[in-house]
Amino acid sequence: MLELPTIQDTMNDRRRINGPAEGTRPPVYASHLKSGGATDRAQRQREPTDLRKIFLKTGLIPSASGSSYLEFAPSSSLANARSNPKSLIPPSSALKLSCTVHGPKPLPRSAAFSPNLVLTTHVKYAPFAARKRKGHIRDASERDLGVHLETALRGAIIAERWPKSGIDLTITILEAEDDRWWADAPDLHDASWGMMNVLAGCITAASAAIADAHIDCLDLVSGGVAALVSDDSTEDSAAAPRLMLDADPAEHRSIMAACVVAYMPARDEITELWLKGESSKIALEKGDQRSAHEALIDGAVDAARGAHSVLSEAVRETMLRAVTPL
Amino acid sequence: MSSQRQASSAAQIPHLSPAELSYLYTSLSLPNSPIRPDGRSPTQFRPLSAETNILPGTNGSARIGFADGTQAIVGVKAEVEKTVLVSDTLDVQHEAQGTGNGEGGEGSSSAVTGGHGSWVQMSIEIPGFRDDDALPVFLSEMMRESLVGSVGVKDKSGEENMAGGLKGRLVINKRWHWRLYIDVLLLSQPLSYPLPLLSLTTHLALLSTKLPKLKSKGEEDPFFDDDWAVAEYIYPRVLGVSNTLQVRPPVTLLVISVGENVIFDPTREEIAVADAVLAISVTRDNEAGSLQPLKLLSIRTIDPPSRLTQPGIPNSENVNMLGAPAPNENVAVLNPATGEEEVPGVWRPRRGGVKRSVIAGMVKTVLKKGGVGEEVLAGLEGVEVS
Repeated sequence: MLELPTIQDTMNDRRRINGPAEGTRPPVYASHLKSGGATDRAQRQREPTDLRKIFLKTGLIPSASGSSYLEFAPSSSLANARSNPKSLIPPSSALKLSCTVHGPKPLPRSAAFSPNLVLTTHVKYAPFAARKRKGHIRDASERDLGVHLETALRGAIIAERWPKSGIDLTITILEAEDDRWWADAPDLHDASWGMMNVLAGCITAASAAIADAHIDCLDLVSGGVAALVSDDSTEDSAAAPRLMLDADPAEHRSIMAACVVAYMPARDEITELWLKGESSKIALEKGDQRSAHEALIDGAVDAARGAHSVLSEAVRETMLRAVTPL
Repeated sequence: MSSQRQASSAAQIPHLSPAELSYLYTSLSLPNSPIRPDGRSPTQFRPLSAETNILPGTNGSARIGFADGTQAIVGVKAEVEKTVLVSDTLDVQHEAQGTGNGEGGEGSSSAVTGGHGSWVQMSIEIPGFRDDDALPVFLSEMMRESLVGSVGVKDKSGEENMAGGLKGRLVINKRWHWRLYIDVLLLSQPLSYPLPLLSLTTHLALLSTKLPKLKSKGEEDPFFDDDWAVAEYIYPRVLGVSNTLQVRPPVTLLVISVGENVIFDPTREEIAVADAVLAISVTRDNEAGSLQPLKLLSIRTIDPPSRLTQPGIPNSENVNMLGAPAPNENVAVLNPATGEEEVPGVWRPRRGGVKRSVIAGMVKTVLKKGGVGEEVLAGLEGVEVS
């Protein structure tokens, strides 16, 4: 274990004026509050089945054998705040991440024999990625994301074509999703919902980078998120939550449950499924007999199908670049 | 070292030959009546011995040992901690209206009564793994998310019925709360994927966990009764209909699918040939009027270790068998479950993922009335918690 400097050490440092150990937030002035603006809650402007636009491009990092960069379109309130800033605090955030693939390369001499390709995944948040600063050492949630990503990709890669070799896949998250609206106190159903959107983005980007590195896969695997959302927290709490595809946690009052899948459309198969939260009630159309968790999984698969169209277009561009050198 | 690290997400693969793997797969995928190596039925668990309250220094503890010699101990410790109001939240209503000076309103209480997921800390120690390896991290996140994710329902009678689930139970008042440390120790080498063992032990330990009785009232600094005999269970003993405990900690079940069969509590050999591995967390649904007795809290796929195994080579492709007369039965057939050409009796690791119908089937076997989930919870209730 690495020894971190304790608070005691910094307390004894009397020669400098240190900033507060915890983060601070930009000031919010009373005049702002009265006129609205800074404290307007972000609202979802999309239809429940609409996805955010995705920007995906491969081959941006020349030293890697495959790479990709993915960005979600900022929500309308974020776009408004950027073009017409009223406050220092952005109302929501949009995912940005880059992914690199190194390999296939021979395993080190010390490694045990493996008849298959050995996949290693690293997911790291940049220190400035979230509202709260992340350390340089990967924490539990980042390791957890790495395991999820590995499961998602291992099912798609045809691993027996590269015996005794390995690939390293590294994802750096430059801007992460919020877990809730920034000014909300954590409520009953609070959990790291932003992580699920991040994982879906990681899966799609990693799939593009692996295709860019010319590693054989069964199909392009893409990630999708669906969530059960209850927006009216006021008096009608008995109302069942509704299904939203690609839900941005900053745009909703309360997320009850969410689900991420990694999905291969050509085989109609799921390589990774992560569902959490209270999924017992759901408001579906009349005649729909699905239970809440089935509806969630189906919704996430629909979102993944949407991401797949972007992914296949990005991979097609990659191939065009390869056959027509500039 | 890196291959050991990489295999860690699905526990180590046993050293079985392709022929053995193929034999196991065939017997486990027999339609409707899988034959397991130890003769269990598909939904039967391994025999285990359990005891609770074994560690006097903890608030609650349990030990479970499986018949194959794997043992786990869980200790639960609780500490009183001052609630730090999250600095970057903004109570818009309060500040905008200018009412109330900071606290004392009804608006700010909603945040506090909810409790916070980070108040439950979980650490898992598995021999042979570092504490930042993938397996312990993955397991502890999986078990923690279902623990803090379960939110009890408010009873109409207004009784104390775990509103807010475990998180809500940890709130003492607006300024103080309990912090719960759940430390899981696997005493033996992980012979099989340790999730069922660790989850059942954690469940029992939480059932036996007691917190000292609070003597102070309201917003006073907390002051507790020093008589341990009057301490209160963290999961209160309220008997509901059909004489079962109403509020239960969640339990995580390991389910695999082989061919068209769904198999519970797999051993190391069985999990090595699984098509899909799911960890499904459930708890009792104490909401009136629900059709199912159980509530789903989380599902996670676990990387099936079969993807790391060595494939077998059919005789027709084996260079050593070139001179041998070609046997007639050695013809590739299309496997309906995988949609790939396979030679019967030759092991071929499963490629790709799971169909949605398979996942739905696995979840249904756990959740349905009289299903495995209910059986497990009833069985755990039988363990005498003293």
